[in-house]
Amino acid sequence: MSLPKRILKETERLRNEKDTGIKATIHGDNLRYFDVEINGPEGSPYEGGVFELELFLPEDYPMSPPKVRFLTKIYHPNIDRLGRICLDILKNNWSPALQIRTVLLSIQALLGAPNPDDPLANDVAQKWKEDENAAKATARQWTKEYAKKVSDQKEEA
Amino acid sequence: MEPSRQPKRQRTAQFDSGRDNRIKEEPDTAIFSDPHDELPFIAPPPSSQPEQAEQPSFDAELFTTIVGERLTTDKLKQLENAAGGNMERAINMYFDGSWKNTRPTQIANPLMKAARQQASKKRKESDPVIKAESTPEYTRPKNLPFDKRYLGVLQAEGWTTCSGTNLLQYGERVTIHREKLRTPAPAKKGTAAAKGAHLRQRKTADLIVRFKNSRGFEVGRLEQDMAKFVSVLIDQRLCSFDGTVVYAPEQCRMNDTVYLQLRVFLLGEAFDQNRNFKETRVVGDLFTIQETEEEKDVRQRQASLVRLFDKIGLEAVVKGSGMDAKKEILKAAESLEEIEAKSKAGTPKPVIKKEGGEEEEEEGEELEQDQLDELYRKAQSFDFDSPEAEPSETFAMDLRRYQKQALNWMLSKERNESLREGSMNPLWDEYKWPTVDEEGLELMDAGQGSFYANLYSGEMSLQFPKQEQNCLGGILADEMGLGKTIQMLALIHSNIPEGIEVPKQSNDLLPYEPKVHTIDYAPYTTLVVAPMSLLSQWESECDAASKPNTLKTMVYYAAGREDLRKLCTGHNLMSAPNVIITSYGTVLSEFSHISHTGTDRVLHGGLFSIRFNRIILDEAHNIKNRNSKTAKACYELEANHRWVLTGTPIVNRLEDLFSLVRFLRVEPWGNFAFWRTFITVPFEEKNFLKALDMVQTVLEPLVMRRTKDMKLPDGSPLVPLPPRDIMIEQIDLSEQERLVYDHIYNKVSATVNANIEGGTLFKSYTSILAQILRLRQSCCHPTLVRRKDVVADEEEADAARDAANGFADDMDLAALIDKFTASESQETQNVANVYGAHVLKQIKEESNISECPICMTEEIENLTVTGCFHAACKECWMQHIDYQKKHDKIPLCVACRAPINDRDLFEVIREPPSALPTPTIGTEPPSAPCLTQSSTEPTIRLRRLNRKSSSKINTLISKLLSFKSASPPDLSKSIVFSQFTSFLDLIEPELKLSGIPYLRLDGTTPQATRKSILSRFSDSPLPLVLLLSLRTGGVGLNLVAAQNVFLMDPWWSWAVESQAIDRVHRMGQKGKVRVWRFVVRGSVEERMLRVQEKKKFLAGTLGMMGKEEMRSERIEDIKVLLGK
Repeated sequence: MSLPKRILKETERLRNEKDTGIKATIHGDNLRYFDVEINGPEGSPYEGGVFELELFLPEDYPMSPPKVRFLTKIYHPNIDRLGRICLDILKNNWSPALQIRTVLLSIQALLGAPNPDDPLANDVAQKWKEDENAAKATARQWTKEYAKKVSDQKEEA
Repeated sequence: MEPSRQPKRQRTAQFDSGRDNRIKEEPDTAIFSDPHDELPFIAPPPSSQPEQAEQPSFDAELFTTIVGERLTTDKLKQLENAAGGNMERAINMYFDGSWKNTRPTQIANPLMKAARQQASKKRKESDPVIKAESTPEYTRPKNLPFDKRYLGVLQAEGWTTCSGTNLLQYGERVTIHREKLRTPAPAKKGTAAAKGAHLRQRKTADLIVRFKNSRGFEVGRLEQDMAKFVSVLIDQRLCSFDGTVVYAPEQCRMNDTVYLQLRVFLLGEAFDQNRNFKETRVVGDLFTIQETEEEKDVRQRQASLVRLFDKIGLEAVVKGSGMDAKKEILKAAESLEEIEAKSKAGTPKPVIKKEGGEEEEEEGEELEQDQLDELYRKAQSFDFDSPEAEPSETFAMDLRRYQKQALNWMLSKERNESLREGSMNPLWDEYKWPTVDEEGLELMDAGQGSFYANLYSGEMSLQFPKQEQNCLGGILADEMGLGKTIQMLALIHSNIPEGIEVPKQSNDLLPYEPKVHTIDYAPYTTLVVAPMSLLSQWESECDAASKPNTLKTMVYYAAGREDLRKLCTGHNLMSAPNVIITSYGTVLSEFSHISHTGTDRVLHGGLFSIRFNRIILDEAHNIKNRNSKTAKACYELEANHRWVLTGTPIVNRLEDLFSLVRFLRVEPWGNFAFWRTFITVPFEEKNFLKALDMVQTVLEPLVMRRTKDMKLPDGSPLVPLPPRDIMIEQIDLSEQERLVYDHIYNKVSATVNANIEGGTLFKSYTSILAQILRLRQSCCHPTLVRRKDVVADEEEADAARDAANGFADDMDLAALIDKFTASESQETQNVANVYGAHVLKQIKEESNISECPICMTEEIENLTVTGCFHAACKECWMQHIDYQKKHDKIPLCVACRAPINDRDLFEVIREPPSALPTPTIGTEPPSAPCLTQSSTEPTIRLRRLNRKSSSKINTLISKLLSFKSASPPDLSKSIVFSQFTSFLDLIEPELKLSGIPYLRLDGTTPQATRKSILSRFSDSPLPLVLLLSLRTGGVGLNLVAAQNVFLMDPWWSWAVESQAIDRVHRMGQKGKVRVWRFVVRGSVEERMLRVQEKKKFLAGTLGMMGKEEMRSERIEDIKVLLGK
């Protein structure tokens, strides 16, 4: 199946994307497979970290949502150990009007506003509810430990 | 013999209804004369009594002087009685013939009265057989040149009906006579019973010819082959015979063979010009219904004469037609007799045609295409250098060269009034009287060296039969689109009779008094007979082709008829209409009126009351069946010049051409017996070359035919037409449409399989055809399947009803269609009412959005909005909704996640801010809301996206809309053809919703409206769409105003579709023509195209095939269609 124009167009736009703290580049030859980097939002335990994700556009995209997964280990009640994300727009609330960019921005927003009431990683959610500060500290700790530094990213650039 | 004579004589007086009352009644002379009275010429009959002797009060002498005819005493008496002794009344009654219906109340001659009583008594006791020799139905005129005259001898076999010794001896004279069943007393004329009785009698009237020996005993009968024609010759009073025994056994037993030599005498009566042979002439009075009987008489007469001449070895010395017809005529007669025998053996067909329903059995074999081609080839060998003629000044159009050449040809045909002086009528042959008898003795000479016989009608004459009139017209058979109408109009303008005297002014003072019984000549009037749908076109072409005030045109049909005699003849001559346009239906209805009510054709004042200068039959294949009433009616129209226009002079039978020739009154071919002899019979005998050669001989001088693809000598086309593109638009059915289609398909397929296995395909033809019809309809629109009144094609109409009933029980199908129509019910709801102008405003603002949120295309295709005012491409919405449904989710708006209802999707139609007038023609005020702020702002209109509309309709609409939104807007007009008027019904609201202005014309459109629709279509500057039913619009109409043609559904034959396209792609078309043929992919329609391909070459069938042939052909088609 040929690549819908929309994907080309989105790819093109993502390339020119600046200042939002999200970045998606095509992985190798597969035009449906993206390497994604998301900067941890300011004021969140993830600030200063750059998280790597992989994003795949299924055959019936944009009718069905893209598949996204964190590659970088992250301590977050809505993201499990395998990097799977619990986010409504990636499931039932998907709309073809959403794009790769909006999905990534939503994930970024999720980092800023975890939702322990709708957990994916139960243990993390439990912690978050019991002792939010301790949980955030762990998150900060993990970010330091596993995520790239924003400064490194800049150097790379 | 004498005693039996009187009663018989008397009977004549009683029953003689008078074949021809002008003929003087004579005391009977023995036609089958006494055996001893064997001279070729009988002594003149005893002169009749002076008639006027016993009429003191009723001045018979005076009567005779006035009426100019001599009547017998008893007839006079009868008249006198009927008129109550009033002379004036008697004369009137005599002329109008009513006296014949009265029975003589008094018998003048007491002797005869006695005889009558005796006779009736005798009749009661004896068998109903009465000797024919004494029952002359026809009384001999007095002034015959001779009674009978020797013609020759023939050898005959006979067999005896009794036994005995010396019944017959060598050399003995025998008399030959016929016995006839008694004619039943003439019951009330015209009652069915009488006719029936007459018929029965006819059928049982056998062919037995008996002979008596010299002693007057009936001894035997002639052998059948001989009797067959001898009986006819005797019955029809053409000949008499006497015989000599050549061999007879001494001791005769029943059934012994005897050999006779028969001497043949032609009766003087045979030469009587007053004999009622009318119907055989081309100019016959056909206002009578009972024609077939007479035709049969003619046929028997001619065949018998030919056989006789053949047997006695009489050869024509001069043959009028230059052809030796004897064999052919015999063959023709035999083949007819065979047919007759067969039909008798099988189911007997009623001979009398029903008066109401037209029985249009076609006869003759169908032509193969290569034969048709061969036929036309000669007629088409058009000489490109033939002289041209300039049309008259008053003609307002420019003619092309080939049209001027046709004009020249037509003028020469019309002016060719000079006949070859003294040429013999081609139907007649000349024969010499024999000068010696069978024994070589010289015969007495009556001064006549030769006589003439018409072997096609059995007529005989002593006078030289001159050819009466040549055909001063012909057949203009140019292919469609070459301007036959224009050429005829040029002729009308250019050949106006001169030297017609206009009745003097003084006549104007007198009130108009119609002259009774004479058909007045209307020298300046041309009658055009055309199909109903073409009347208005003729009218407007007449106007267009004439300089102002040079041609007075009048449409003559149904309402507002006037007395044409007043209009076109007499002192109104100068103001007479030059062209009267009427329909075949009008001709037929006037004809039926006259023939049923017995009104005098002149007094009727209609089309039959005057003799036109010229008659033009347009689309003349309408009269191709000579037995149809329409054809018969047309034959009866009178004119100096007779023309027929048709693109297909032969549709599929040679007989088609006969009817035209008959209408044109071309001798000798207008005589069916002649035609049969030389064309039909050879053709049926597979002697194609001969038949076709003959037809070419007929066609050549009569026909002018050019085809569109003819090339001028320099290679350029005869008529340069703009190019045309025919495209096949493949349609994909939606899923639900497909379900309906497949359902029906499986059903039909099963039925056909079952019938193929059972060998009952032909029997169940109708129901299968109906199911296939449904299948075809489901390709157009699933709901069509439910309609009962869908079919244009009559053949299919009944079937369709059955099928509709059959499908009505089909719950599965019902469910499928219901699913399809579930949300359709609110379709007509007005969008504006629901959402108000507010919505539109919002859309208007939002419609500037740059890209589709789904496909991200910047130019949104068919911008479509939801009920929540969110926009995307139409296709994207569809995909989205389908995807969601497939995954069992409720489709939500991609922007606001509000649930989307299928029904609440609206396509936004932006009309370019042009100065186009608001389209109001044809549509009601647009039902979709309009928002116009200023003329520079685009108008926005919402069209509810009817997902329940059919794929075909959707494709059509988007095609039409794409013309509109093209830049610059394509303002060409379009024609939409469908064979299903109910499909047009479904297309109509869609056009309305999309704001596409349209007009509609179908079979139900009244004539008066048609004209205005057509002129609105042509004149409007708007890119109008005209919805046309294939049947109505396929023939004749001129629609050059349009450039786009949409054929919504394929027809069985390409010819019909091609004809429809030619409405647009014809002379006068200025632009390129685009044609889209809508065909559903992978459906029966695709296979129909294959069927079409197979017989693309067949001459336009135009649905004019016979029922049977159409069936067997379609059965083949059905197999192809279903891939069997």
